[in-house]
Amino acid sequence: MSIPESKEPGSAPSPRSFAIAHQRPRNSFVGCSRITDYEVLGKLGEGTFGEVHRAKSKKTGALVALKKIIMHNEKDGFPITALREIKLLKLLSHKNVLSLEDMAVEHPARSSDKRKKPIMYMVTPYMDHDLSGLLDNPSVHFTEPQIKCYMLQLLEGLKYLHENRILHRDMKAANLLINNKGILQIADFGLARHYEGEVPKPGRGGGEGRRDYTSLVVTRWYRPPELLMHLKRYTTAIDMWGVGCVFGEMLVGKPILAGESDGHQLEIIFELCGTPTDENMPGWRSLPGAEALQPRPRIGNLSQRFRDYGPGAVSLLKELLKLDWRSRINAIDALKHPYFSTAPLPARPHELPSFEESHELDRRKFHDRRAALPPAPKGGTVGRGPHDGPNASFSGDGFANRNGVNGGRYPRNSRGPEDRVPAWHRDRGLPPRPPPPADGDHPDGYRDGRGGGRPRGGGGGGGRQDVDTYIPSYDRDGPRRDDRRPPPPRRDDRDVRRHDWGDRRRDYDDRSRNSRTRSRSRSPIRDWDRDRERDRDRDRDRDRDRDRDRDRDTYRR
Amino acid sequence: MSHMSNPLATPDQLFQRRSIDALPIELQDAIFFATQCLTQAAGILLQLPQSVTAQANVLLARYWLVEPMMSHEFSDVSAATIYLTAKLSAHPRSPRDLANVYAYLLSRSTAFFHNPKNPPPPPPNDPSSYYLSEAAYHAFRNRVLALEARVLCALAFDTHVALPHPLAVTYLQALEFLGVPKDRIAKKAVAYLNAALLSPQMLYLTSQPNALAVAAVYNAARDIGAKMPECEWWEVFDVEREELGFLVVGMRSVDGWGRKMRADLKGMMRGAERGMVTRRDVEDELRRRGVEVVVVRAASGNEVDAEEEAARRMDEKMASLEAGG
Repeated sequence: MSIPESKEPGSAPSPRSFAIAHQRPRNSFVGCSRITDYEVLGKLGEGTFGEVHRAKSKKTGALVALKKIIMHNEKDGFPITALREIKLLKLLSHKNVLSLEDMAVEHPARSSDKRKKPIMYMVTPYMDHDLSGLLDNPSVHFTEPQIKCYMLQLLEGLKYLHENRILHRDMKAANLLINNKGILQIADFGLARHYEGEVPKPGRGGGEGRRDYTSLVVTRWYRPPELLMHLKRYTTAIDMWGVGCVFGEMLVGKPILAGESDGHQLEIIFELCGTPTDENMPGWRSLPGAEALQPRPRIGNLSQRFRDYGPGAVSLLKELLKLDWRSRINAIDALKHPYFSTAPLPARPHELPSFEESHELDRRKFHDRRAALPPAPKGGTVGRGPHDGPNASFSGDGFANRNGVNGGRYPRNSRGPEDRVPAWHRDRGLPPRPPPPADGDHPDGYRDGRGGGRPRGGGGGGGRQDVDTYIPSYDRDGPRRDDRRPPPPRRDDRDVRRHDWGDRRRDYDDRSRNSRTRSRSRSPIRDWDRDRERDRDRDRDRDRDRDRDRDRDTYRR
Repeated sequence: MSHMSNPLATPDQLFQRRSIDALPIELQDAIFFATQCLTQAAGILLQLPQSVTAQANVLLARYWLVEPMMSHEFSDVSAATIYLTAKLSAHPRSPRDLANVYAYLLSRSTAFFHNPKNPPPPPPNDPSSYYLSEAAYHAFRNRVLALEARVLCALAFDTHVALPHPLAVTYLQALEFLGVPKDRIAKKAVAYLNAALLSPQMLYLTSQPNALAVAAVYNAARDIGAKMPECEWWEVFDVEREELGFLVVGMRSVDGWGRKMRADLKGMMRGAERGMVTRRDVEDELRRRGVEVVVVRAASGNEVDAEEEAARRMDEKMASLEAGG
């Protein structure tokens, strides 16, 4: 069939000539790229959420990260979380927000196979590190100008998001990507949503919320007190709390509020910031989650805990970690905080040292990090609540990974013979083999890693002398338990709370470094044995804190 | 942030739609019109706000700029786009609701596409005609979800649609409603914007929302006889005279064109007791015109009625034999 009349050029409809006269950049209707437009350079990682590959664009030569969108539950079609993230990312454009460059589609090899559906990838610029991974690298030490530089970029990015009425809702170190040009970008908008309240105004903190949202957002360690007490009418201030946590994490080198459970999280927040009163957190008593709370009055040890970092840092941290979400500093004001204008002044991004490219390194520590992550927000994400529309069944599927676009890209345990070894690790010989496991009743013990979680960076106040803590452990249950130190004495209230975690024995103590944990692996079988061998060798005196996906899994499933 | 603007069609795309897609232009336009109307009707029955339905209209127009119309059943494309926009909105709808609504709209009992000015006797409400069997539901859902992915791919996942409706109201406020009753002129302007969704000129793909809003305000003011500012007021809203002129004419023509289109579509369906034109109607129409039908269809694999499908194939074969002999 053909249309004779339209073959003649003269018949071009008037919209055409009009459109030619008003030609605009070709920014749409281009469809998706093919996966073949990219030269895939190898898998950067895989985890519960799917895979991330590093690739090179054949068109531009740019290095990119390809994040696979996994469709676990296709009952309702394309995952709403993915759609939301893509939609938001396409609307955003800021140097401190990760950009979505393209979408790439991979068609199944045999097109006749109808069962197989095309696979979609999100294409983002390749970033060398994420903040969480970088902080875990013992050879990396942030200087104060460097921290200030990252903080400024983080605040600029967040100011932009809030200005544009977007709540990120998953602020955390693992979602902040950093490249070797010193640029920091906010990533992972899987939980982000449009904010309907007033945008932050200078000097007015986060303001008042206008409507309710789900309080099941933000990874626990970065979750602000008002969310832990189930405030639904929250504001952009929830992201600012996360900035405070990230700031503290950069200063200290590990997460500063690594709660075990939601209750415990509140407990350690109060320890740091003081218990809520009607002055420092007006209205807290009427929050649904505050009813049962009877915190022992404390004033908070923030100043003392962070005094080594100077009064400027303490002051900014106090502003960011204010219990009162209404007066908690907003990004506009935080950028003007004296901390950034006192010596040592912030570095410029290009002045920052570049760190050795670090997947292998990253993935080691990522293994730790991922496993150690506290639960993703309970509801998975917006629109995933049990009564939340047609998407309810997208229980935390692969897409909504909590670890950023590049985050979590590091294979859990595989290290092929050809794989890189992180530079700071290469010259280490293998440690002696551990004695064989005492009980062999878990033939697949490495899969059995649902044990209780423990805070990452367990070493309280931790120096980094314990270099190999990023080595994953695939050991079995038995020996771990055996050489586990008895948990240190703790307060009663904590013990009670720990029942949340089920009856699994866990060693939970910020300061204990050498307790045993297990981890779950989803890596290919062929790697398991080799890795187990080696890793078991190594992990004897260094594994810790990587079991946290147990409770995450309970949310995911 | 590009909240306020839309990606536009490139001239090449507009041209290609006219040349490469294998259908005569007037058939393309008829299908476009019928499907957009179907989407609107479904939006009403699904109790979606017009903002959601209108976005579905725009996505559908974008999709058909990229993919040939005949590759999927029109009603399925309509369902997939409305499902997608609803899912992204605050008013998600379940595939089940969608299936029920489309089953009704495509049934004999539907009131869809009857001329409201000259209504035929209302069709007997025969529930059995829109009864949805479980198998039909599953087939429908599978088709729609597969199409959803196709639409997303074709649009490079760019699902953002900036609608001109709120802008039109804002502009009217800025113009102090030109001294006429607020609701009258606002209603008229919004009516123009909604009608423009059905325009085969695909105004939403060639103009940004601000231009559409200004044109709608201009048309509404002219219809009502409101006095517009003497100066070139549209320039305040970043619209050039040429673009405004084009849009004003384009929007005004939709009404008359649409009426004619309804009649044409009825003719094309040859009195079938259905509300919606199907691919088969189009193929029959092409045959009547003596155009050789080369059916290019994506393997759907989920036909509800295998028997109907077989019958259709036989018909085609007969037709081609007849044509050959």
